[in-house]
Amino acid sequence: MSDTRPARPRSLEVALERYEQQRSAALAMGGAEKLARRKAAGVLNARERVDYICDQGTFIESGLLGTSASNPADRHRTPTDGKIVGFGKIDGREVAIGANDFTVMGASSSATNGRKLGHLKRVATQRGLPMVFLGESSGARMPDHMGARGMATLLGNDPTQYQRLRETPWVSATLGMSFGSSSWYAVLSDFNVMRKGSVLAVSSALLASMAVKEQVDPEELGGWRLHSEITGFADLVVDTDEQALDAVRKFLSYMPRHHREAPPVRPVPVGSGADMKNVLDVLPASRTQVYDVRKILRAIVDSDSLFELKPRFGKVAVTALARIDGKTVGLIANNPLFKGGALDTDACEKITSFLVLCDSFNIPIVMFVDTPGFVIGTDAERKRAPGKIMNWMNALQLVTVPKISIILRKTYGQAYLNMGGGRNSDEVAAWPTAEISFMDPQFGVRVVHGKQPGDAEYDGLRAEMDRDSEVWDAAAVYAVQSVIRPEQTRDYLVRTLEVHGMRMSNGVGQHLLRAWPTSY
Amino acid sequence: MALYEVKAEMTGSVWKIVTAAGETVAPGDAIMILESMKMEIPVIAEDGGTVQEILVEEGASVSEGQVVARLEA
Repeated sequence: MSDTRPARPRSLEVALERYEQQRSAALAMGGAEKLARRKAAGVLNARERVDYICDQGTFIESGLLGTSASNPADRHRTPTDGKIVGFGKIDGREVAIGANDFTVMGASSSATNGRKLGHLKRVATQRGLPMVFLGESSGARMPDHMGARGMATLLGNDPTQYQRLRETPWVSATLGMSFGSSSWYAVLSDFNVMRKGSVLAVSSALLASMAVKEQVDPEELGGWRLHSEITGFADLVVDTDEQALDAVRKFLSYMPRHHREAPPVRPVPVGSGADMKNVLDVLPASRTQVYDVRKILRAIVDSDSLFELKPRFGKVAVTALARIDGKTVGLIANNPLFKGGALDTDACEKITSFLVLCDSFNIPIVMFVDTPGFVIGTDAERKRAPGKIMNWMNALQLVTVPKISIILRKTYGQAYLNMGGGRNSDEVAAWPTAEISFMDPQFGVRVVHGKQPGDAEYDGLRAEMDRDSEVWDAAAVYAVQSVIRPEQTRDYLVRTLEVHGMRMSNGVGQHLLRAWPTSY
Repeated sequence: MALYEVKAEMTGSVWKIVTAAGETVAPGDAIMILESMKMEIPVIAEDGGTVQEILVEEGASVSEGQVVARLEA
């Protein structure tokens, strides 16, 4: 059968050929040699990362044929202008995704890729899509940004560029050298996972050594230990790109797609709650001894659902996403294993930022209390403890998602309020081991009666104060609504969270914390 | 084998020293117990190893971040 279709006009053929050439050039990224080097180093390239994290075949790219708009000489060597952006599905849910291509001029920022990111953010914000940033970047492209013309044309032209109103979750992975824009999005995000060996900083070690004459080791400037232990900018640290991308997916699985819906509900794994009968064994015999509260949390939540954020920062506080009866919850717990559970300024900041996260994305909050109070002393004051304690109270009192507080052992002084005591929660429950007072009875005997251990009356006064701290008097006046046995805690939470579901607003809170800073 | 320092994580006083120079401890073992805020707070040797030096005595005051022991692991 002969082909009877009219022949394609030659100009159309040429155009189609040119299109295929342009596509190939754009998909070649920074070239075979650079790509081979990354592979040899065991590091994924930008397209491999997008492929890995998106459900197969769902990624639709935006701006494939973008190149440098600033410098004609760069047009041929800036495929996608160094940032691959588009939309894809993760676990069946649409996301907006931007992956920096370090093989293209270090994924440096410039006009075209800036427009791409701006578009990505606008669409995500207007259409309710989580944002995923896969970051590594050398920062602003040079020499494009130098001089008044460079600055005026390239920077400051988007008045909402760094606004964070938490319409949708932002998730970041720091996967290499990250300076400038890539670092900005990491710290603006709700979750940032960092691969070991990466560096997250304002500027490179080279620039730092020039500007402030400091010879800096990159790890000291912005390595994983700094960010997981000192700054808290890394919520999680991993060894490989794949683990980082898995963590991004895992974080998203707890979140709604946008702030106008409740988080997704998952099936409850078989065996969830089976360890509750052993939970009392976690508590040590003496009230002055310590234990790891995470053992209790793991028994209470659905099996394998505990996802701890910032485990190496402010360790006295445990902040973790989890599921109870299939629904996402945000857990805040004092961990006596560190500092006896005494709350330091890092813990204040970590908890405050976690309250903002949960409240902004309609996640109910459960607090587990066992603290002898705030760390006091000159070091705490130099770290501005009063300000941080009050930031935490301010945030707690602005929360409109359900708050449940369970007192396990001690809760003293101001910390009683910060951990949801009294009317700072919707429901307060307590174990029979709970103790509530203004300060530890041993201090109390000295402050109130002027007696110390060894004085004749000390033992009697101490026994009286110990008795007065027991939970019964708080339950008697309804400051504690329920006293529960430890092994009943999971069942109590399942029912109480069910009761407090935000029925009248379809599971959505009022988001009074949505404009809270992302770092402090 | 490398020398590493163990630091007090909190300002307080040394209540009990539970090991001595020359002894070997497992990773995660406590080498001493501090008292602060009326709590017994173990000082943990994360990597275990052989205790080279205990730098404080029972009853001494320690500051947050102060090196209290050196171990080799």
